[in-house]
Amino acid sequence: MVNKFTADILKLLVLIISSVIKGSSNGMKKLFILFLSTLIFVISFSSCSPQKDENELVIWHTMRPEETKVLQSQLVRFMKLNPGIKVHQLFKETEEMRSGFIVAAIGGQGPDLVYGPSDQIGPFEEMKIIKPLEEIFDEEFLSNFNEKGLIYRNGHLWQIADKLGNHLTLVYNKDLVPIPPKTDIELIEIGKKLSIDKNGDGRIDQYGLVWNYTEPYFFIPFLTGYGGWIFDSLAVPTLNSEAMVKGLKFIQSLRDKHKIIPNEADYNVADVLFKEGRAGMIINGDWSWASYGNAGINYGIAPLPIITETGLHCSPMISPKGFSININLDSSKTEKAKLLIEYLMKPENQLEASKAAKTFPTRKELYDDPFIQDDPILTNSRLQIELGTPLPIVTEMRAIWDAMRPSYQAVLGGSITPEKAAAQMQKSAIKKIEELREDFQDPVSGLIIQIMFLLAAAITLFLMRKSIVAFFVNIKKDGFAYLLAMPAVLVMVAVIFYPFFYNIVLSFSNMNLSHINDWTIVGFYQYVKVFQEPQFYEIFLKTILWTSANIFFHVTIGVFLALLLNKNLPGTPLFRTLLILPWAVPQYIVALTWRGMFNYEYGSINLILVKFLSMSPVEWLKSPFEAFVAVIITNVWLGFPFMMIIALGALQSIPAELYEAADIDGAKWYHKLKNITIPLIKPVMIPAITLGVIWTFNNLNVVWLVSNAGEPSDSTHILVSYVYKAAFNMYRYGYAAAFSVILFLILLAFGLTFLRKTKATESVY
Amino acid sequence: MKKNLFINISVYLVLILFTLIALYPILNVFTISIRPDDKLLSTDLSIIPDKATFRQYVELFTNRPFLLWTWNSLIVSATVTFTGVVLASTAGYALSRYKFVGKQASMLGLLTTQMFPATMLLLPMYIMLIKLELLNSYLGIIIIYSATALPFCVWQMKGYYDTIPHSLEESARIDGCTKWQSFYKIILPLASPALVITALFSFMTAWSEYIVAAQVLQDTSLYTLPLGLKSFESNMSTEWGLYAAASLIVSIPVVILFVILSKWLVSGLTLGSVKG
Repeated sequence: MVNKFTADILKLLVLIISSVIKGSSNGMKKLFILFLSTLIFVISFSSCSPQKDENELVIWHTMRPEETKVLQSQLVRFMKLNPGIKVHQLFKETEEMRSGFIVAAIGGQGPDLVYGPSDQIGPFEEMKIIKPLEEIFDEEFLSNFNEKGLIYRNGHLWQIADKLGNHLTLVYNKDLVPIPPKTDIELIEIGKKLSIDKNGDGRIDQYGLVWNYTEPYFFIPFLTGYGGWIFDSLAVPTLNSEAMVKGLKFIQSLRDKHKIIPNEADYNVADVLFKEGRAGMIINGDWSWASYGNAGINYGIAPLPIITETGLHCSPMISPKGFSININLDSSKTEKAKLLIEYLMKPENQLEASKAAKTFPTRKELYDDPFIQDDPILTNSRLQIELGTPLPIVTEMRAIWDAMRPSYQAVLGGSITPEKAAAQMQKSAIKKIEELREDFQDPVSGLIIQIMFLLAAAITLFLMRKSIVAFFVNIKKDGFAYLLAMPAVLVMVAVIFYPFFYNIVLSFSNMNLSHINDWTIVGFYQYVKVFQEPQFYEIFLKTILWTSANIFFHVTIGVFLALLLNKNLPGTPLFRTLLILPWAVPQYIVALTWRGMFNYEYGSINLILVKFLSMSPVEWLKSPFEAFVAVIITNVWLGFPFMMIIALGALQSIPAELYEAADIDGAKWYHKLKNITIPLIKPVMIPAITLGVIWTFNNLNVVWLVSNAGEPSDSTHILVSYVYKAAFNMYRYGYAAAFSVILFLILLAFGLTFLRKTKATESVY
Repeated sequence: MKKNLFINISVYLVLILFTLIALYPILNVFTISIRPDDKLLSTDLSIIPDKATFRQYVELFTNRPFLLWTWNSLIVSATVTFTGVVLASTAGYALSRYKFVGKQASMLGLLTTQMFPATMLLLPMYIMLIKLELLNSYLGIIIIYSATALPFCVWQMKGYYDTIPHSLEESARIDGCTKWQSFYKIILPLASPALVITALFSFMTAWSEYIVAAQVLQDTSLYTLPLGLKSFESNMSTEWGLYAAASLIVSIPVVILFVILSKWLVSGLTLGSVKG
């Protein structure tokens, strides 16, 4: 079933192509027919895909594997009961689901149902991309739920949860910790007994307590334990508090004074330490428990301890997880979505999930169920939920996390004091909330910009008048060239240039959280914002450093290896092939591997440094400088083969007689390098270097994956990763567009001057 | 003689050192894939861990739709490769041999396409695909991939054509060939090293791309390999063993291509300037 639009496009294509074929030779005809048949092949393939139809529901969710299994089996049963309806479920990672759903729903598409933690409701509601549910479900149905599972905001119901929790608790290894600690003092006592150097190499290899202490989400229990909170009742941040300072100092003391937690621990390190039985306790969420059982750990759950000084429980955030309905659904589909939600929310179905994944249900009648009452894990989990604090459902949460993360990581990295960190967090949170809420309208300069656009277009046309005339005069003569170039140009215009100009327009607009569909042109506002950002200059310098370091090593290592390979000793083809491999393996795979290799505790780089070179281990990913070096090392590794191959190609085209002549003249190797090799490979290397600079400057993947989105403290960002974060974390689309245009202009200026200076332009044009 | 031997030995030593550096991270992925306990991290430095097992690979082919993903990826990549070669070889030829209005602008345009951060083009691209009803279809993704691979490919084809003397076509034209024939029959075969490279690049672009695919393909039955691979990674619990095993298998076709083509890679990748 080819849809109508593709059919029309096809007809048009056939028309154009047949008219072209009439006027061309046989060979060309063959080629075009081949091309056309491939296209048709592909289109027919793509149309095999199930098109969106009335009876199909799509769910995007963030469930973990064991929950997904339950969901899938429930969906199969649902489809048997309702033969007219088909349901597909699709897992998305939290951030990806959020940004993906926003973009799709704004475009009038997207999944019919989204399932995830309640904090995504904030932006979804503000962008008006989900439906109010109280109009769809009747009161009787809703009255069955624990009220914590019904997410209201501004008077409407936006999400119905089937699970409560997502909360952190203390998980302990019963073999190491027979009785879990009730207070912070007990925690430290038990921890001290467990943190020992077992094999006597001077490094602690069993810890009392571990957790992912790079993420502020895991810090919240300590903040609440000292009586603090992130917001006041008006959603104004309250991060610069005594509780914050005390909480930070407490964690510092656990690590530096009592030495019961490791020096560096992100989620994976903490997880592995506990799974290997090398940590007595871990602070982790309900999502992780099942995996500890599977790893053979005899584990138990206990509420987080009480802070003696305040007498308060460390209170983690709790957030319900549940379903929302896409705003774009028509009434008949909404009916089907309602049917599905009602089915999935049935008590027996919720119970099934609880049994499989140890999650806590929202149906009130289940709370008396013997399973929920008696299961030791669930009872303790429930205890912790009662001691938890609900995650605020406001869009500002994102600003809070983004504000807390860098300063929090800086305290743990030892570069600032807790007092300073608290002040910084508060300042940054207020600034970020302002940016999130910024509402700028300026119809006057908007109009001016639009007139400027028109003027610019007119002037360009005027300046190009000669070329345009020449185009029509010469079209007959140059027809063949145009014919050859046209298909490529058309594709690139559609896919690259159209979005590019769209972005330029956006860069003059106020598109952001509050103006996602109704943005207007406001002038140079976003550009001014970019240049006012003090971080811009710092990151710009860092980007230059990043680019030049990378290119320097790419080129020197590449050329050096090419020179060695060019000696054509026996076996060189083998080496050449092996040395290309870093280029051949997909970037996102090796980037993650390198991140693992830089790990303090487990990374092979440190292990090699210690075991074979007897050096002390380096905290690669914890301090800004080392982390930046780590990212550069990864990218150097990825990029040298390209330069090596280019250089090798250039070297092989140098006539051997030149060297022979030099030998006769008695030239030393460095003379030959300076006077023959370098000048002759330069014309090949210059375009390669230009491309290399452009690619490196804009290389998001490596920075993002190796440094885990800019860690520590957002200090490993280059411009492109910074703008990516601004666009997708803070919904500042206009700002991000302006930022990208500036990036583009920087590269354009560089490209033009570099090519002109090196006089390589003749080869480019 | 002695001096030469010494130099050669040190050349080998350096080459071996760099080869080890180049291979180690890849071996690391292999190690993770055969670890018995599905762990990313371990203090064990050995390449083959204790109780090594290939169960992740078995799991991949028996219980996961890995073959389907591979087939999907093959369809997409093959079409992109074909489109890339056809479009780049013709456009590159036009840019190399003809002087026409807009030629300079096109060459500069090709370079500038590389300068705009690609991720920022996603939003408008996505909106465009929705309007053209190309969402959730291979056609959409194939068009995008072809366009992404094209600038580099055209540039590099043009560079290679520049190294082929004009006199060849001139004599062909005198012998009665049409413009098209002299391109198709004389020049194109001579440019085969560059065509091979163009094919390789187009293939790689399509084979390992993730970000665009994640936005465009929503249906699990349409998933390409990188998307399938990503599905082993969930919020907090990644199936590292499977992820590593699949990563290696995903890399194999590209590696094989590189190995087979490495000879052409050196002669075909000129990026436009060695003249005659």
